[in-house]
Amino acid sequence: MERLLFDAVLAAVVLFAGLMVVLKHPVHSVLSLVVAFFALATGYVMLGAPFVGALQVIVYAGAILVLFLFVLMLLNIARPPADRGGRPVQAFLGSVGAVVFAAMLLGALRSSGAALPAAAAVPPDPASLGEPASLARVLFADYLLHFEAISVLLLAALVGAFVLARREPRT
Amino acid sequence: MTLADWGIVLARVVLPPLILPAIVIPLVWYERRVAALIQDRHGPNRVGPFGLLQSPADILKLFTKEEVVPASVDKGLFYLAPALAVFAALATFVVIPYGANLHAGGRDIPLIGADVSIGVLYIFAITSISVYAIVLAGWSSNDKYSLMGGIRSSAQIISYELAMTTAAAGIILAAGSFRLSDIVVMQESTILGFIPRWNVFFQPLGFLIFFTATFAETNRLPFDLPEAEAELVAGYHTEYSAMHFGSFFLAEYVNVIVSSALTTTLYFGGWSLPGFHPTGPLGVAASVVIFGLKTAFFVTVFVWVRWTLPRFRYDQLMRLGWKALLPLALVNLLWAAALEMWRARG
Repeated sequence: MERLLFDAVLAAVVLFAGLMVVLKHPVHSVLSLVVAFFALATGYVMLGAPFVGALQVIVYAGAILVLFLFVLMLLNIARPPADRGGRPVQAFLGSVGAVVFAAMLLGALRSSGAALPAAAAVPPDPASLGEPASLARVLFADYLLHFEAISVLLLAALVGAFVLARREPRT
Repeated sequence: MTLADWGIVLARVVLPPLILPAIVIPLVWYERRVAALIQDRHGPNRVGPFGLLQSPADILKLFTKEEVVPASVDKGLFYLAPALAVFAALATFVVIPYGANLHAGGRDIPLIGADVSIGVLYIFAITSISVYAIVLAGWSSNDKYSLMGGIRSSAQIISYELAMTTAAAGIILAAGSFRLSDIVVMQESTILGFIPRWNVFFQPLGFLIFFTATFAETNRLPFDLPEAEAELVAGYHTEYSAMHFGSFFLAEYVNVIVSSALTTTLYFGGWSLPGFHPTGPLGVAASVVIFGLKTAFFVTVFVWVRWTLPRFRYDQLMRLGWKALLPLALVNLLWAAALEMWRARG
């Protein structure tokens, strides 16, 4: 029963991610990506990682995609002009990419299960692994340096965005 | 799990979303009567005793009115938006504990929809869905006033969400848990023997920021810019009619109740009172009444503020959110951290 539900959720992720690419209207595309992210969050919760699921919704669906939507609405982007074909280079590169991706996917499927990384010395309790407390312990004790490095990187990106968007002072 | 267990789980999850809309009916009447009191007039007093049946009559009217849908709307999203608004409003209440644990028939039944470990985060996640409801309503209407309302509201809600989450982070820090039932339990005792150990006494600044931000999150005056009628007709719901319009109305009032309940839980001890240890069904019922009364108090403040303060201008709203509330929320977070360090030292 639970397995079936989980598969349905994953199918929804793939379906709506696909719709994101196929749909013609940019606003519809963003919305189907939102649904895909929600389905992904549901998957995280079902895997026993509610914290990651909540962050998935708050950060991606709640903040980033709302900004996408915001920009699309402000720019009032209508339907893109109909594709008249005539993009041979893109079509060629696209098909090469599709073949490479299919090969990688096949390889991954065939080797799945065979090359699992060696289990940790003390297997963590699976029931509490995704809970906020245990996640915080890993993040702020074991990987504190990495965590801080990433926050500095994000801060640098923020400052960079501010500098780029700033109006030139009049001389 | 037996059938009875399933029944209890179903009741815990389904009952609050059924009861909340029912409370909205007298709440609308209450707001109109209080407004009348503040403005020195009578208010609805003709339909039923004290005018109590005015709201049911209005709702009946909303349901039976003709629905007018403009030809140029994006049909699917136009109908999705009000449903999303009501869903987001009702889904929030699921993680808020509304009474002490009930011991009955050898079972320990917590009076909360789902006591999840990510309670506070879940609420913020649901809040982000309610943004979509308003933005989609504004955009799908294909009308400049609706679009302006939708865009304003998304900017407003995102801006105030920052101050709100940062203020709530102080509570999470003090409780050491996202779980709302843990946050209630930590506030049960007293300080110096007579002051309740409510978070509002430790983080008064955080409470002010949080409560102010909830006004912006629920689109209530003085922050109801998304539907400022003087400039935007009715904002994001200009093109809606009949019960689809009513859905937005319902969502707003449910949001007022839920925000009050959340403020009660985070800062005013939830269903607990100092010296009150609920035992037996009667004690549990009393705890639910305490929770209801505290929530009703904040609902009254919502109504009171609406008829007291004028609407902010848009740039004032943004300045307040980013330049006043957010830095103050950070100060509150530092204060909460300092308090926690002091407490840890003993």
